[in-house]
Amino acid sequence: MAYQLYRNTTLGNSLQESLDELIQGSLNTYRFCDNVWTFVLNDVEFREVTELVKVDKVKIVACDGKNTGSNTAE
Amino acid sequence: MALFLYFKGEFSTGSHLFSPLSPYDAELPIQTAEHGVFGSQLCQPKDLHTDFSSVDLSFLPDVTQDNKEQNLSEDGHEMQTELDGSRANNEDSGISMDESSLSHPGAAQPSPEASGVCPSLTPMTPITPATSASESSGIVPQLQNIVSTVNLACKLDLKNIALHARNAEYNPKRFSAVIMRIREPRTTALIFSSGKMVCTGAKSEEQSRLAARKYARVVQKLGFPAKFLDFKIQNMVGSCDVRFPIRLEGLVVTHQQFSSYEPELFPGLVYRMVKPRIVLLIFVSGKVVLTGAKERSEIYEAFENIYPILKGFKKPS
Repeated sequence: MAYQLYRNTTLGNSLQESLDELIQGSLNTYRFCDNVWTFVLNDVEFREVTELVKVDKVKIVACDGKNTGSNTAE
Repeated sequence: MALFLYFKGEFSTGSHLFSPLSPYDAELPIQTAEHGVFGSQLCQPKDLHTDFSSVDLSFLPDVTQDNKEQNLSEDGHEMQTELDGSRANNEDSGISMDESSLSHPGAAQPSPEASGVCPSLTPMTPITPATSASESSGIVPQLQNIVSTVNLACKLDLKNIALHARNAEYNPKRFSAVIMRIREPRTTALIFSSGKMVCTGAKSEEQSRLAARKYARVVQKLGFPAKFLDFKIQNMVGSCDVRFPIRLEGLVVTHQQFSSYEPELFPGLVYRMVKPRIVLLIFVSGKVVLTGAKERSEIYEAFENIYPILKGFKKPS
């Protein structure tokens, strides 16, 4: 069900929001292939209670956790 | 407005074409000859490898500055052959052009400034007569979405594209196409391994074409011999507001052969207009959505048709 959003997209009833999308406009690029998400964000602040880290560019590579998606064969 | 740009860019020698009339003026009195009228004018000047065919409105969006690029010349070729095909109508068109040029004696001189005569040339303004017996609504539906298709004419390796292009998604388990987006014009494309592509989300015909071209360029830069064949707008969606509440129950009774209204299923009345063949979603608030058009004029025409009907079902305040 996590793919509901993409159901709509694949039918071409595009959700432009994914571009407009938040990350407050600092999303540079995204990619989804082989069930792996890759994001590149710009001007990001990582905030923890004690610390603050600012970076110009961050690349996030994310795979499915748990068992979602891992059972279905390619 | 877009048409105006085409003339400035591509008719440096000017043409007899538009000095006398705006295309709409020509279009109304001269129905059958129209296709030949402009076609003949275009054939006369030197070889325009620009792809301007007849002024038949449905062709207009196909003309863009980009057509000058070699890699997109296929489009130009198609247009050129259509142009040549219309040569046969020369005789008739010659006559009608003379009549029209009578009203503008200076029309014979080709001049680049001729384009200045038609500042109001917008390819897609509605053809509503200025003074009609019934007043026009004064409301213009705004285009919200355009869906178009184009053939890149080469097999594509989708995984390759998804891995190297930015802003792409590819999940073959769910859907066997790459979903790519660009920011300007803000659109989404579905790219298939056959080389065919669907482009959605644009707000105008030109934007849709421009966006499709950009996607094609992305694919090209990835190393595929992409072309740009058979660009076609498949659907256009518009919306507007009549600014008064509507009695949908009344409308569905009197127009039952066209309407379906099931408020428990969907709050809008679905009106399937026959001519033009457009589907309208009409809401109690007075908002109207129009869809199913292949051309902008169909949206405008459908709205002008429905407006007096809706006025008749205004909710008394």
